[in-house]
Amino acid sequence: MLALEGVGKAFPNGTVALRDARLTVESGSVHGLVGANGAGKSTMIKIIAGAHAPSEGTVRWKGEGVSWRDPGAARNAGIATIMQHVPLAPTLTVLENVFLGASGPWRLPRTKRTEFARLLDRVGYHIDPDAEVSDLAIGERQMVAILQALATGAELVVMDEPTASLAEGERQVVFDVVRRLSAQGTAFLYVSHFLDEVLSLTDHVTVLRDGTVVEEGETAAYDEDRLVKAIVGRDLLAVERRDTPSVAAGVPALLAVRGLSSPAGVRDVSFEVRTGEVLGLAGLLGSGRSEILHAIYGADKRARGHVLVGDRTVRRRPRAAVAAGMALVPEDRGAQGLVAAFPIWKNVSLPDLSSLASGRMLPRETDERARAARAIEDLGIVSSGPDAVMTELSGGNAQKVVFAKWLYGGARVFMLDEPTAGVDVGAKADILELVRGFAAEGGAVLMVSSEFEEILAVATRVLVVREGRIVAERAARDTSEEELLMLANGFGELGEGGAADAG
Amino acid sequence: MPADSSRRRLAAALRPGNAGVVYALVLIVVVLTATSAQLGRPNYLSSTNITNILDQSSLVAILAVFTTVVLISGNFDLSIASISAFSAATVLSLVSSMGLPLAMAIALGAGLICGVINGVIVQLVGINAFIVTLGTMTAVRGLVLIVTDGRTITAKDPAAQRSLITLQSGYWPSSYVTAVLGVLLLAAAAVVLLRRNRSLLTGGITAAAGVVLIALSLTSSVRLSKPTYYLIVIAAVTWVVLRYTVIGRRLYAVGSNAEAARLSGINVNRYRIGAFVLNGLGSGFVGVLFAAKLLAINPTGLQGTELTVLAAAILGGTSLFGGLGSVLKSVVGALILFTLDNGFNVLNLGANYQGVIVGTVLIVAAAIYTIAGRQRQVRGVRDSGARPVGSEDEPDSEKAEALR
Repeated sequence: MLALEGVGKAFPNGTVALRDARLTVESGSVHGLVGANGAGKSTMIKIIAGAHAPSEGTVRWKGEGVSWRDPGAARNAGIATIMQHVPLAPTLTVLENVFLGASGPWRLPRTKRTEFARLLDRVGYHIDPDAEVSDLAIGERQMVAILQALATGAELVVMDEPTASLAEGERQVVFDVVRRLSAQGTAFLYVSHFLDEVLSLTDHVTVLRDGTVVEEGETAAYDEDRLVKAIVGRDLLAVERRDTPSVAAGVPALLAVRGLSSPAGVRDVSFEVRTGEVLGLAGLLGSGRSEILHAIYGADKRARGHVLVGDRTVRRRPRAAVAAGMALVPEDRGAQGLVAAFPIWKNVSLPDLSSLASGRMLPRETDERARAARAIEDLGIVSSGPDAVMTELSGGNAQKVVFAKWLYGGARVFMLDEPTAGVDVGAKADILELVRGFAAEGGAVLMVSSEFEEILAVATRVLVVREGRIVAERAARDTSEEELLMLANGFGELGEGGAADAG
Repeated sequence: MPADSSRRRLAAALRPGNAGVVYALVLIVVVLTATSAQLGRPNYLSSTNITNILDQSSLVAILAVFTTVVLISGNFDLSIASISAFSAATVLSLVSSMGLPLAMAIALGAGLICGVINGVIVQLVGINAFIVTLGTMTAVRGLVLIVTDGRTITAKDPAAQRSLITLQSGYWPSSYVTAVLGVLLLAAAAVVLLRRNRSLLTGGITAAAGVVLIALSLTSSVRLSKPTYYLIVIAAVTWVVLRYTVIGRRLYAVGSNAEAARLSGINVNRYRIGAFVLNGLGSGFVGVLFAAKLLAINPTGLQGTELTVLAAAILGGTSLFGGLGSVLKSVVGALILFTLDNGFNVLNLGANYQGVIVGTVLIVAAAIYTIAGRQRQVRGVRDSGARPVGSEDEPDSEKAEALR
């Protein structure tokens, strides 16, 4: 039904996101697409949805080669894509959302109601057509999005991480609907980090790694183990794994977290990071790993618990955290890390501005520029100079600027949230070297990453996070990517939690 | 390298997208001067007329300075004109019994409290600033009605009138000011030129400006009203604070990306509430000046002024989304509005056309800023051959950028 042949995608900044990729989705099948972060899943979906044009290769839809100019064209052809964050109009009713794209002069023709009832019947799900979408739970919104896709007559539904923010019951509803519809002939392309879901729901699976298809076949031939191995790969360690010396037990803790909880999804987290140590937080998307960092940093106002740097309790707000020597490199550098309107030098000096200012009040711009120039030199930031604006920089260089903010201001506790997300391989190695440097120079590092390969490359210890809790602790030298992925998926040695999810 | 970079910065500052509002003012003045000479009317650029324009625009321009600060912080304030009217009513009703200093202190305090209320509700309760200040605008206007009991109130006591008049009336020749400014510029140029790593260009231009100003002070003299001097002092101090201090830098950061600022350890609430408080205080001060000027206020006095003030700020290129703006350019924006106003009167063109012209000017200005901003972004991306930060997953961010 849908076939991708030799599809490649290179971005103008030189990143090759997809190389010679192929994918075949049969009608009525549920096709799983898995891979680590940055493996090219999103790019592939965007090509299918018509949001990106492939740089090479052909896309065939029902046997004919197609090139969609925009997502609307793909939609009209019968491909509906449901993104992770469901774009619905929250102030309209379910019925209005489902038929949002319908033409005709009236807002709610009666025929739409009967059509809606038929649709519900087909799906085997019930929802009040007059409920306002803003009142619905996330799972129900997901269903509305599916209904919307079906209402446009979609024959292939692409779902990107549909269950990342769903509760267990809601997931089951989504699964039931997917199974039922595929039995009626609708094809699904199902993208998920959760391997248990992929194993139980899909009949075919394609594994992407570093932009190429490494394996494809019937899901029945796979178990977690084989899937994990395919995702991780053995030969492609982009970062060299160094045997990080474990820190002597006698070294005092630089960062201590005691009984930290937050309604944002952090449940009774306690741990310590010693001087010279890199502690990895391994968890899947939605496991609460970023929330833990924000709670420690005081950026999450609702969090409760104690955070100590050295032996001093830190007041729970970012300003106090910065004063205590904590640094946060946030996950979304565009929205949380950088001021886009500022050039490099103003961004670099922002957290430490008063110490670069005469009388703590008048910034010395010459010194600020000098610091930025030093950062450009030290970190190898490719740019036109300290005056370059952030929009000129590629992802990796922008990320280095975020690091530079904390490099020269006396920060000792570094909290890094996905520090290499969206960064090319070269910059990735630089950044990981930087992380090692933080620890070697007497700091403590807490690093979150969904690329466990990276965590293992730099960390001394690893904590596995699942559902806001720390579920396991491993010394980095005694564990493997496979084991971490199992633990993060809930396939622990105790077999609790996630194993039941698979049913 | 330093010379080169400062030359590039200077070139950037002179681009139409940045300095367009100044060019627009010059253009309007030139057109008006030429037209009035053509029609055989008195010299448009006479010192009396310049004094008049500056005096007429001073109150709005002062409001525009503080409103720009609020806009830079990423908020919005509609309540300024109501606060000014309330402050004027307060000072007029109290000045006879209490004397000017106390009455003025109470009026300023009232403005300050209004600002605190705005800021606290917007930042700590988290309601949209447009809604909150629409509410306070209406409510404070209601207070004006209560205080005035729906009638025009005046300060009848002659002593009180005299004290109010001294606050705002009277003209001082500007030659002292230009002379002092000229000397200061020369001193600044000397500092720039004596520093190791600074450019001849910046220093040279500063020195030339200083010489021109000193020459002006010797040859011609314009007498400026007291409110004009207040405006000059307020605008200069605010500009220096925004341009050269830690507070200014952080304010821009807060307005441009509040989350990044917060995670960098900046107290976002403090800066945003502070901007509202300053705006309230400034509006209170303008109210006192207004009362001193007219010695009376009617319940609808100053109604609608908040929109003129916003128009001035927008003409000056201030972004309604925060993080972008300059108080000096907002002042120029106010001057444009009043120059047009004055031009219509002087040339006797009929006030009926005025609204159409002013509205058109405003939209054209906004269009120029938007398009210039978009082109700058495209150029930046093209130059480096790289994609903007974060654009991969959020195509909307580019659109949002372009709107600024």
